[in-house]
Amino acid sequence: MEQDQRIIVGVYHLSKTFGKHFSLHDINLQVTNGEFVFLVGRSGAGKSTLLRMIYMDDFPSSGQVVVGPHVSTKMKRSTIPNLRRKVGIVFQDFRLLDDRTVFENVALALKVAGAGISDVKHQVTDILMRVGLYHKRYDFPHELSGGEQQRVAIARAVANRPSVLLADEPTGNLDPVVTRSILELLFKINAGGTAVLMATHDLDLVKSFGQRIIYLDGGRVVKDKDMIYVGDLRDRIAGSEISEKADRLEDRDITGERGNRR
Amino acid sequence: MNLNQLRYVVGESMAMMARRKAANGFSIVIMGLSLLILVVFILLTLNVQSVIDRASEEMRAYVYLKDGVGAATLREIQMKLLGLEGISEVVFVSRDEALTSFRQTLGGNKDMLDALGSNPLPDAYRVKMKPEYIRSEYMERLAGEAGKWEGVEEFRYGERWLGRGEKLVRGFYVVDLCIGVIILLSVIFVIANTVRLTVLTRQKTIEVAKLVGATNAYIRIPFLVEGAFQGTVASLLAIALLAVIHAFAKRYLPGVLFLRGDSILGFVVFCALLGALASYGAMRRFLKV
Repeated sequence: MEQDQRIIVGVYHLSKTFGKHFSLHDINLQVTNGEFVFLVGRSGAGKSTLLRMIYMDDFPSSGQVVVGPHVSTKMKRSTIPNLRRKVGIVFQDFRLLDDRTVFENVALALKVAGAGISDVKHQVTDILMRVGLYHKRYDFPHELSGGEQQRVAIARAVANRPSVLLADEPTGNLDPVVTRSILELLFKINAGGTAVLMATHDLDLVKSFGQRIIYLDGGRVVKDKDMIYVGDLRDRIAGSEISEKADRLEDRDITGERGNRR
Repeated sequence: MNLNQLRYVVGESMAMMARRKAANGFSIVIMGLSLLILVVFILLTLNVQSVIDRASEEMRAYVYLKDGVGAATLREIQMKLLGLEGISEVVFVSRDEALTSFRQTLGGNKDMLDALGSNPLPDAYRVKMKPEYIRSEYMERLAGEAGKWEGVEEFRYGERWLGRGEKLVRGFYVVDLCIGVIILLSVIFVIANTVRLTVLTRQKTIEVAKLVGATNAYIRIPFLVEGAFQGTVASLLAIALLAVIHAFAKRYLPGVLFLRGDSILGFVVFCALLGALASYGAMRRFLKV
């Protein structure tokens, strides 16, 4: 599928079923180069499933995902590693390797991509300085706080300078102060040109940043940018928390409060 | 995979094995002892084969001639025998020489021959066979053919002795094969099990490596190296223990043989490949990478 060169992630009519149950239903969304997008929805809304489709840990039942030159319907298993090196991934539970130091955890991403030893050393040093953890490079994950562990996970995710960073509830395990600092770090990465798609259930957290928010509910996109998928869908989710919050945000958008952070 | 990745993968393999020293050591000892049973039987077979081969080299076949065969026929028989590819030497033994030799063999009982009055032994050709032709099948065919020649009474080659020796060696080979199959299956099982446990303990590492873009080869190679390493060390352990057993046996049986250098190398390489193969199977089954 040909898509606009500015679009780094394109999701087209994506549906995913597990058995007879729809997990995602006719999802359409595009993320452009350098964009910062929040994907908001309650637990079970399909956020993680959608992200898994984007980094191709799983494949759609119908529709397709396009990430740079990679198209899910034409994807071979052998080319998935190439995609993963261009897509950084961050999780709520950090997924650091406990038996390796901070330096080694970050270096792993560069090593699997085949970087030379001196490149690995320079780049890991550079990234750790940027995330403010160079002084802890020889520490093991269990010696770090939750926020520090997430910084290491982010450092690892951006080590290969990905075009897009996917963050699945990256602040879910963190207190509000640390959460704020992690979001600041993600914005900093985004300012460097990396698109960020961050999934979260916490609408209150993200709405204050004024970035594009995609609302997911029951496996469907119910609101994206200024477009509200109204009508029967609105009726279907009437009364839900997401719907109410979407309404409030819509009102704010109309009054022109929304602005681009960058 | 480029050179850098290969270097990292080898480093990863070493680190992985170092982290699981105890489990690897345990597997290697079990495999080493299993392989020891196999190499003991192989060595036993080798020695039995060697004894039979040495005895075969000493073996001579005899072409007994009819009474009153003329010189021309004798010469013709000799030429025919020398023309056969399995025969290396043909010597005429007259009935008198045979009798003298027989007397010497009988020692104290040689008076028995005097009682006979005349020499009962025939003239004969003593035939030395090339070792590789001393096989029942060939000898039987030769005896059948030579037995029909004019002037030939009988071709004898110690058929009962040869048949028994061959049966014994065949028996050893069958036992070796059976034990070999059982041992190899158990070695595959032990290696696959160790690798499976390693895979389970390293599930998170594998998952993370895949997330950051590791290829299947990058993930698999450390496990293959671990399997090959286990196979190699276990085979060396088995050979070392066999050397100890051999040294002990040599005190009582000085001529007992040991495995040749190239056989040992072949065995070690085979076990290394077996280890890598077992790992590959375990990875395929449990990882789907």
